[in-house]
Amino acid sequence: MLTGGEYSNHSRQLQPETCQTELNLPRVLCVLSSTLEKLVARNEKLVHELSQEVDGSIRIGKSLNAFHGVRAPSISIPKYLERIYKYTNCSPSCFVVGYVYIDRLTHLHPDSLVISLNIHRLLVTSVMIASKMLDDEHYNNAVYARVGGVSNAELNKLELELLFLLDFGVMVSSRVFESYCLHLEKEMVVNGTGLIKVERALASPKAMLMDEHDHNHLNHEPEILVEDNNNSNQSSPLPQILDSELTFS
Amino acid sequence: MSIAAPGQLNVNESPSWGSRSVDCFEKLEQIGEGTYGQVYMAKEIKTGEIVALKKIRMDNEREGFPITAIREIKILKKLHHENVIKLKEIVTSPGPEKDEQGRPDGNKYKGGIYMVFEYMDHDLTGLADRPGMRFTVPQIKCYMRQLLTGLHYCHVNQVLHRDIKGSNLLIDNEGNLKLADFGLARSFSNDHNANLTNRVITLWYRPPELLLGTTKYGPAVDMWSVGCIFAELLHGKPIFPGKDEPEQLNKIFELCGAPDEVNWPGVSKTPWYNQFKPTRPMKRRLREVFRHFDRHALELLERMLTLDPAQRITAKDALDAEYFWTDPLPCDPKSLPKYESSHEFQTKKKRQQQRQNEEMAKRQKMQHPQQHTRLPPIQQPGQHAQMRSGPNQNLHGSQPQVAAGPSHHYGKPRGPSGGPGRYPPSGNPGGGYNHPNRGGQGGGGYGSGPYPPQGRGAPYGSSGMPGGGPRGGGGSGYGVGAPTYPQQGGPYGGSGTGRGSNMMGGNRNQQYGWQQ
Repeated sequence: MLTGGEYSNHSRQLQPETCQTELNLPRVLCVLSSTLEKLVARNEKLVHELSQEVDGSIRIGKSLNAFHGVRAPSISIPKYLERIYKYTNCSPSCFVVGYVYIDRLTHLHPDSLVISLNIHRLLVTSVMIASKMLDDEHYNNAVYARVGGVSNAELNKLELELLFLLDFGVMVSSRVFESYCLHLEKEMVVNGTGLIKVERALASPKAMLMDEHDHNHLNHEPEILVEDNNNSNQSSPLPQILDSELTFS
Repeated sequence: MSIAAPGQLNVNESPSWGSRSVDCFEKLEQIGEGTYGQVYMAKEIKTGEIVALKKIRMDNEREGFPITAIREIKILKKLHHENVIKLKEIVTSPGPEKDEQGRPDGNKYKGGIYMVFEYMDHDLTGLADRPGMRFTVPQIKCYMRQLLTGLHYCHVNQVLHRDIKGSNLLIDNEGNLKLADFGLARSFSNDHNANLTNRVITLWYRPPELLLGTTKYGPAVDMWSVGCIFAELLHGKPIFPGKDEPEQLNKIFELCGAPDEVNWPGVSKTPWYNQFKPTRPMKRRLREVFRHFDRHALELLERMLTLDPAQRITAKDALDAEYFWTDPLPCDPKSLPKYESSHEFQTKKKRQQQRQNEEMAKRQKMQHPQQHTRLPPIQQPGQHAQMRSGPNQNLHGSQPQVAAGPSHHYGKPRGPSGGPGRYPPSGNPGGGYNHPNRGGQGGGGYGSGPYPPQGRGAPYGSSGMPGGGPRGGGGSGYGVGAPTYPQQGGPYGGSGTGRGSNMMGGNRNQQYGWQQ
């Protein structure tokens, strides 16, 4: 799965400024994308070096195997995060907490690397769990699966994998949350992007603060609405939010 | 994010939860049953220790791992206190079958996931409803103090329980009381700025602020429930047995008076105040109705059942109340009598037997003694309750309003004989709150309701769950209890027909009416 040439095609340059052009997106998406891209690039390099040293057998842990795709999805990390945010309308803080989970994962399973083959699945799974934890209202796994481009069954499996890998340590105190926000902000300073404040609303999940405006915003995405509503009088066909590029393999 | 080099030591000390198989336990018997999960009494083979195994079944693919289970696990993982149920570990069962495609690397969790709890013999409601059970005052003080101690611990750790009720208070034969069923619990921050769902807490124990639609709330919601339980222990029966939210509010107002800007600043700003504000003036009658209570008990109850959550007593202050520090003092848990352990499954058989006996007795024209009356605490003669007079009395006559089927805890199976009221000392035959929901099932601490069914559940268990009802489906101590909120949809509208996306929040469509 982890062969030499594959990842290098997908390592992307850091382009933090690109996501800033998108208006109305939480700043945390931008910061997080950049941090994760950097991480993935670093790990890809590590994998590459390892694969050259010991040909064939790379000593990478198997903990994250469930999250590995055959090839890296073509959608970039920023676009993927944006997509999750746009379609699930989860609180911005879910992305920080999702990041906390991924970070915890790497600490609990240090031999496992977050790389381009697994980052997407890790993201959709961790943000989904974060949303389940934080938002009293959130979309179900079926919606996240569609948004994330994986099957419902697979996402359910990944959810359990992640919960068990985390040893169900999915509690994030406000202190820890704050420290991760600071960490993410620091990353941006280091990047030379300048100080970007991350939305701190752990206690006030966006989903709970949605006002009429937010609803209207979501109403422009009818496919999602139909999806989350199993109402029998809804006869519309199933939404086509599943871009072909998003069907991971 | 730090990256550990390959080969670095894993510093995680304890073995991961979920690393062991359920095969490490021998299931002794099923002690609870629900649509979504079963609870077993089991023995750990290696140690011989008796535990309770709660199976988490994941029938609903769209929802994934039940949110209630995730929340319960993550919260219980953090809470370690003698008055909070201990979640020992999570075990899995790989299941015999392969996945749909027959791939060998199928879902290793397919067979099920179990939560392993310490074993508890009873729950408070089950115990209270035992035939002939009569708590002593030191016993009530003992339970109340443990309840408040456990709750104070939760609140200090910024956890709201959000489903305090008798069937979620487990009691072992050492007299220890532990809070259980954290499926609705969540963390809160002290600033109370979060918007939280108001559809929590079993109706009878739900505070007025939630009934009025508040979404910013804090630990005070749990304290209202504690007040309801306290009053119930002293009074001998639930004090606010509302059948729906409007009636629930009305019952509260009848006893605690109507809220206004004087006794509860800001109440008129609550979302549903205008909808539910009383049409006539209502005075607070708590002291009058419960005048037979011990002075200190009444004082404490007054402060727990305070309408304004901001003025309601905290768990910490309640523990300092005179009540716990005056004679008779709370007893040592260990001094409490041991009661025969029993669970729903076992008691079903017993009840069956009993029913047969009753039938036989009837045939023999014998007066079978009324066995299932919950009694107020033992106290001095002449101090017994006068039943509340007033409009409520008619509501809960001997005629059950809702046929919920067997529901709970050693209750009396609704048999042929009307019999005297449940609370004979009041001298009020047939009156009072002879609540139908108390008939039926034995309790004993193990729940049997399902993990919440998706979508709405009816408050009185008409949703086809075994032993539904506001007090938790058939005793729900281990948290497979029936769902707490009776309805989804707008304020009490109950209009939601779609699926709730999860029990905490329900379906967004229902909440916000996107479809309209």
